[in-house]
Amino acid sequence: MIKVGFIVNPYAGMGGAVGLKGTDGCVREAYARGAVPMAPAKAIRFLSSLSKNDIHFLTAGREMGEHELAKVGIPYDVIYRPDEGKKSDPIQTGAIDTINACMEMIQNDTGLIIFCGGDGTARDIFSCTGQLIPILGIPAGVKIYSGVFATTPESGAHLLSDWNGTSLSDGEVMDVDEEEYRKGILNTSLFGYAKIPSGPVRCQSSKQVSFGDESREVEQIATFITEVMRDDTLYLLGAGTTTKAIADRLHLSKTILGIDAVYQGRVIGTDISEREILTLVEKFDRIKIIVSPIGAQGFILGRGNQQISCSVIRKTGVDSLIVVATEAKLRNTKTLFIDTGDPSLNNKFGDTIQVICGYRMVIRAELSH
Amino acid sequence: MYKYVHQHTKVYMITKILLDENEIPKQWYNIQADLITPLDPPMHPQTQKPVVPADLEPIFPKELIRQEMCQDRYINIPSEVRDIYALWRPSPLFRAHRLEKVLKTPAKIYYKYEGGSPPGSHKPNTAIPQAYYNMKEGIERIATETGAGQWGSSLAFATQLFDMECKVYMVRGSYDQKPYRKMMMQTWGATCVPSPSPDTNSGRAILAKDPNTAGSLGIAISEAVEDAATHSNTNYSLGSVLNHVCVHQTIIGQEAQKQLDMVDEKADIVIASAGGGSNCAGICFPFIKDKLDGKNPDLEVLAVEPAACPTLTRGLYAYDFGDVAGLTPLLKMFTLGHDFIPPSIHAGGLRYHGMAPLVSRLHADRLIDSTSVHQNEVFEAAVMFARAEGIIPAPEAAHAIRIAIDKALECKKTGESKTILFNNSGHGHFDLSSYEAYFAGSLIDYEYPADLIAESLKKLPVIA
Repeated sequence: MIKVGFIVNPYAGMGGAVGLKGTDGCVREAYARGAVPMAPAKAIRFLSSLSKNDIHFLTAGREMGEHELAKVGIPYDVIYRPDEGKKSDPIQTGAIDTINACMEMIQNDTGLIIFCGGDGTARDIFSCTGQLIPILGIPAGVKIYSGVFATTPESGAHLLSDWNGTSLSDGEVMDVDEEEYRKGILNTSLFGYAKIPSGPVRCQSSKQVSFGDESREVEQIATFITEVMRDDTLYLLGAGTTTKAIADRLHLSKTILGIDAVYQGRVIGTDISEREILTLVEKFDRIKIIVSPIGAQGFILGRGNQQISCSVIRKTGVDSLIVVATEAKLRNTKTLFIDTGDPSLNNKFGDTIQVICGYRMVIRAELSH
Repeated sequence: MYKYVHQHTKVYMITKILLDENEIPKQWYNIQADLITPLDPPMHPQTQKPVVPADLEPIFPKELIRQEMCQDRYINIPSEVRDIYALWRPSPLFRAHRLEKVLKTPAKIYYKYEGGSPPGSHKPNTAIPQAYYNMKEGIERIATETGAGQWGSSLAFATQLFDMECKVYMVRGSYDQKPYRKMMMQTWGATCVPSPSPDTNSGRAILAKDPNTAGSLGIAISEAVEDAATHSNTNYSLGSVLNHVCVHQTIIGQEAQKQLDMVDEKADIVIASAGGGSNCAGICFPFIKDKLDGKNPDLEVLAVEPAACPTLTRGLYAYDFGDVAGLTPLLKMFTLGHDFIPPSIHAGGLRYHGMAPLVSRLHADRLIDSTSVHQNEVFEAAVMFARAEGIIPAPEAAHAIRIAIDKALECKKTGESKTILFNNSGHGHFDLSSYEAYFAGSLIDYEYPADLIAESLKKLPVIA
């Protein structure tokens, strides 16, 4: 029996339907514009699709999970109750309740926390769990840029039903500036890497199911990349655990959220900014940029790594990009995206891009821009 | 336009071009006699000196060793082998009228169909003589490897005809994906185990390093060679790559030549899928002879490979081992490196790091051209072919179909009426789960990162 925490952010996604591009700090405004809560219905879709019985759900009171579990008829224990607000106030819970519920779940030895919400909820949950406890998001928010979400409530249910309880991979938690976003400016940064349940790998041509070992794939990618690295080339290593594995193999330390520069087996810059990258680009003739797709949408450039700007890519050329990702990651993000901020530069990339997915192994992935 | 046969007042459009049983060729064609550049000799894995027949005797019968090194242009097919061939040979040559119509091409598309053999592919063309020669020399048991299962089931079929035992090391990825191939082998009395297996030292070594490996032909070869070398009553048998295997398969091309002659056609393009190279050799070598003899100087010969394992297209021409463990002689061939384990594509029979030395030599001498294609393109062609012609091809065969279709579409653009011949080397009835994956949109297009490898000049694949 696995203990699973279940938290619903009941207001997630409300802003989207009424043009608010997010709900943080805008729940009243969303209600005023006629929005209705959407997350509870998605939470119920998730719970209704579960086919696993050996789960002990721990949840938060009322609309934060209790109502949804009760409605579907799944047994649960409430371990946190938000304060009762004024009945006339449409807002009965907030981010502090998500955090408090999450902390209670951690205290109660929860093996996994499932939440229904958006990027904001993911950030709140991750700020409590870090990498200690795996998390899985059921998408209900306006913005889903983080890589910790299932694609649909149903796929989340299937993932949990099939999960062996131990296989994990890394998912990005993205921080999106909502104020800027409402002004039409997408300003994303990487908040961190959470542990997420890794789904069973269904062999392409069979019904056979086995759990893939993602760390083995990451190791193979790192082995291959380090084999083809040249001494006359400057390498910019993007954010993420896959690129960190490359640095590990070279016995170098790497900032997991930033861009680091490596030359002749030495780190010559850590967490470097766009300006610093441009300075380096002027100094070196041969440059390769090694990146891994970020977030649920599989952005190669333009989300969470804006340091690799269009100015940088114009200097290094589109061929300087080496994309690395495990097959497990690519299964969830079949189409990759590039947004350098310059449509004409985006168009210089083809319709497909090679992604290194193992030792001397590449997948041709669709590319959108 | 189509070929027609006038019988009284009725006009028939010829679809199947058939030979009589007594027209089964009486000799195999050995292209070694006609090579522009002689083959570099195989080297002993330890001494690195040219292999002599005695080196091969622990695992091969003398007659096959003789054929491996033979320079005679033709080698007689024993009557016992021809009798068994008659179970399905001569195989039909089809004119793909319906595919031509779908493509609206002026090209004439012909294909030889090897899927009518009992195991469903071209593989028994060599399994039968290999089992026969081993039986004649008193061998009781044969060990072999198989990728997609076509070779394993063919050797199982062949050995039981001569009351011999057969142990098949089947690449684990295919073993899991194709349970019915195992059943075929069992039906024909063979033992089939997934490779790497705990039955051999080389299998145990791989499993210790990587228990979840999908295996590869290279690993399975190591196991089968080790099995043969460690059992006195056992020989080893290889379903592709070696010269004698290529020789046995030439029966396909020789029949196709006669069949094209029957309808007054001359091939402009001959296309074959290429994994280890025997299928390619089988259909192409007799036609390359015509090219070398000046009878068909403009003939284009094309080997089609998976983009995930493009040995001829992106590999190096160098000495390399035929297996992962380095037990086999070193062969001069196009290779991606014997330690390269290709991704688990559905055309399991094409997952091999090397290429037959004969095909490699002809490629180096520019008598065979090569190209590579992605899985999804291959299955798209396979489905188009099945819907037009009825036969559901094996994914391996569909590689040739893809390029045949592409060439026919080129003809549509240019208005040329070229004669295209390809070998449809087997049916895909045991590959329907691969089709299922294609229809579900879950086929991954793997590639070999040759540019990245080539860019790092000092880090090319290590070739012994």
